[in-house]
Order: sequence, then structure tokens, then C-alpha cells
Amino acid sequence: MGGIVLIEPKQEADLIYARLAEWFTAQWHCQYRIDVVNDQYGQTFNFFMNIQRQHHRARSIPLHTLRTTDLAVLEQVIRALQQQTQLSLNFVNFGRVRWPVSQRWIH
Amino acid sequence: MDYQNEPHGLFFMIDNKSFYASVESAARGLNPLRSVIVVMSEADNTGSGLVLAASPMAKKLFGISNVSRQYEVPDDPRILVVPPRMNLYIQENLKINKIFREYVADSDLFPYSIDESILDMTKSWRLFGSTPEQVARRIQLRIRREMGLYTTVGIGENPVQAKLALDLQAKHDHELIGRLTYESFPRAIWPITNLESVWSIGHRTAAHLQRLGIHSMRDLAMVNPYELRAEMGLIGAQLFALAWGIDRSQLHQLRLAKEKSWSNSQVLPRDYQIQQEIELVIREIGQQTTSRMRHHHQQAGCVSLGIGLARTGEADDGRSGFHHSCRIEPTDNVQAIAAALLRLFRQHWEGQAIRNISVGLSRLNTSRGLQLDIFQEPHRQIKNERFDRVIDELRDKFGKTAVIPASSLMPGGTMLRRAALVGGHNGGNSFD
Repeated sequence: MGGIVLIEPKQEADLIYARLAEWFTAQWHCQYRIDVVNDQYGQTFNFFMNIQRQHHRARSIPLHTLRTTDLAVLEQVIRALQQQTQLSLNFVNFGRVRWPVSQRWIH
Repeated sequence: MDYQNEPHGLFFMIDNKSFYASVESAARGLNPLRSVIVVMSEADNTGSGLVLAASPMAKKLFGISNVSRQYEVPDDPRILVVPPRMNLYIQENLKINKIFREYVADSDLFPYSIDESILDMTKSWRLFGSTPEQVARRIQLRIRREMGLYTTVGIGENPVQAKLALDLQAKHDHELIGRLTYESFPRAIWPITNLESVWSIGHRTAAHLQRLGIHSMRDLAMVNPYELRAEMGLIGAQLFALAWGIDRSQLHQLRLAKEKSWSNSQVLPRDYQIQQEIELVIREIGQQTTSRMRHHHQQAGCVSLGIGLARTGEADDGRSGFHHSCRIEPTDNVQAIAAALLRLFRQHWEGQAIRNISVGLSRLNTSRGLQLDIFQEPHRQIKNERFDRVIDELRDKFGKTAVIPASSLMPGGTMLRRAALVGGHNGGNSFD
């Protein structure tokens, strides 16, 4: 690590999608959700697949970590990801801020 | 007891509260003390799943403990189950130790396990506060702020006091700090009657002490040390010192093991009964161990094989397995070592189902090039030697699975699946 790491949004989104596709088995009474965490300690954005079957334990599977704190990069990755999946996204610890480009609230 | 000649230093033993679970909580933006997280390994050989760590809340609300089995964890929607990421924990441990190095010289820091470190603060603590507790608090807050993790600190005048202060006091303290001194030791430790809760006293030692009429730390402190030593050997003397909070170890002068050896072992994912399959795994482990040894330019003069029987296959005489070793011509050649292992196996195996295999290489010496054997064709020997080197280089460069024996693809092989594991558990995603 160290130095500037170029992040290719499409590639990152593809990787996240490939990993979540393994877990998305579309069962009845089961909620699937992608958690996107603003990790201030690690200075990263972390992606998890959250799987909650009704009346059962929840599971949270690590999908990927973006080594950046740049919201603009995250916005591109999210946009690329949303072209591949319609699973709902849950943004954690972002506070009340807007996306740099679309200017919509992050929620 | 006269403590005047005992070492009087200041030691911190710092551990991370539910380390794996806390790291996973922080990564998900959750508070490690409030989240209900269970880190569950589902590696092949953990059966249905094994709890590697549970967050403090998971322990409190559901009574989940480490090494619980999957079926012991209640199926409650409030519980979040996550897979382990061993590589991440190693990285986090390195970061924490880097922070510790700002408080002690490198030579005064002794990482003890993946989530515990000993800091010899004797020389440096006054730089950071007016009391040891204040310094401990400062380190705690720093780690909380920078990494989102809670740490527990045991303070003592020597390492064993720090360890006991950590285990017996800090973990139950509101501030997560505990402190023992020679002076406070009898008051704090002697009333303890559950001997197994004291570091270094295991189940069997506790039972042995009970048989001797020792039912509390006070009893242990009052016993005649010479009698205890005569009864239990060196351990007796150590236990007596423990009861008085005495520890004369000099961490700076680490003692090296008399003779080093290399070994690997694994628990098999199921009972193995077919000879071919068992031998395949023995070969794989033999190869792994040999390759580690070769990286240190050593040759082995002795191989040993340990076999643990499956519960169903336990021999009629009640043995749970066997362990044998044999001398060989010093070598670092995989084929030769595998052949010796298989010889041992065939001599002693009587067809039982097995669940556990370990391989050890000892009587090591430095390899000084190839010693030709006059009874074998020399060109063949040189070629074998070169072959091993090339394989090693390929694996160093392209990873452990760059070249594998075709036999590892046969039923029963465990190498491919284990190659991605760290300490036997999932290392985490590869391109993170």
C-alpha cells in the first residue's frame, strides 16, 4: 500500500456484484440488503451483504472495501453497482451529506 | 514474604475486548460494546460451525461463549453472524502494536497473542502521566479514538501480576483497568477459590491441587514450597511463586528452545477410513512442513507422525491415537520425507477411522548442498533436488497453489481448500 491507488469504479462494482450474486438466492421471507459503511477508523468504505431470514439470525457477509474517503469515487461505484442490481442500499455513518455530483441526500 | 530482592518494574498487559467481534463491529459502524455479533468459522473441519468470538453483548444476552458450536447459538434475529477475516485481524493487531510503540521502546514491547501484548513501561511511563492508571487510560482512549476498539489493561510490578490484574480485575472493572502490586496481591488474589480462573492453572492442575487439599490461592501460598515441589515437580515451585505474585522472568532475555522443530497438523473435515485418502493427506502435510523447513535451509534427521483416531474408531484398548517417529538420513527432499511418513503410518495403522494428522520434522541441521547417496543413481538425485527448488520458487512467486500434485485433486485431498485459510480459518476476501 502507500502511494496513490487508482480506483476503477466499474471494476470495483463488478467485483462487488460478483460476490453478492453468490449469496443472493432469493428465498421467501428473506430480506437482502447491501450495507455501505463509512468507516472513519479505517478510512475506507466497506460493503457488506446483509441477509435476514424472518425469525432467524441475520448474517453479514463482507463483500469489499474501497480504500478511499472520496465520496465522488463512492458515488461512481454505487451508480455502476445500481446498474447491475436493485437490492436496497443501506448507508451507515454518513451523517447528513449530499452526493457530490447528483446533489441528492445520501440515505 | 520479603519482596525486596524481587524485580520491581511496571508492566501493562493490554488485551482487546472480544477482538475479532470488535473489529467486525467497527468495520460495520457498530459500537463493539453494544453490538450483538458472533464471528463464526465455517471451515470444512469445524463441523456445522464454530464460534471464534462473540461480542460482549452476545455473551451477556444469549450466553454465547467462544468455541460454542453453531447449534448452540440461538436462532434469534437480533444476532448478527459474520464470517471470520483472519488477515484483517492480523493487520489490526499490527496497527495496535504500532500505537504501543509510541509509549515504549521497541525492545520493551512483547506481543503475546493476536489480541494481547505486554508493555514494559518501567522506563517510560512517567513521560505520559502522573499515575500508571492515567497512562493506561490514555492508551485506551487513543486506541478507541483511532481504531474504534476497546482495550482492557492489567497493571503489575511484573508480568504475571499484570496478567492476573487483566484476567481477574480489569475485565470486570468499569474503566477496564486493573492493578496489582506485591502489597495488594494477597488481599486481591488469595480469596480466589476457583483455581482454574487463575492464569496457568488448568483443569488437571486444579484437580491435582484439590487432591492435595489446596482449595484457594491462600492455601497455595501457605503450602510448604519444598513439599509442593517434591509432589508436582518444577510446576509446583512455579505455582508457589504465582500465589505470591512473584515472577522473575526477564523478557529481554528470551530463552530459545533447546531444539527447534517444524510441525503441522490438521483436523480432518470428516472421518477418513480409506488408506489411499489418509496417505494423500499425510503426503500433503509432509510436503507443507518440508517446504517450510526448506525455506530455512534446513534438513531433518527425524520424522514423526501423529494420528488421532475418530471417536468411533477408537482402539479397543482405549487409545485415542498414536505417535511415532523414526530417524532418517538428513534430507530436505519431499519424496524421502513422505516415504518415511508413509512407512510409519503403514507400520502402525490398523484400519481405524481417523480424524487428526500431525507431522513433525526434527533433528535439524543446516543444509549444505546435496549429499549424494552412493546407492542411488547420482543424476536422478541431482534432478530431484533441482525439482524441489523449482517448485519452491514457483510457489514463492505465484502462491501456494501455483503448482500442486495432481493427487491433491483426488477425493480426500485437503490442500487446495486449506491453502486459502489463515490459522485454519477464512482469511477474508482476497482483493480487498
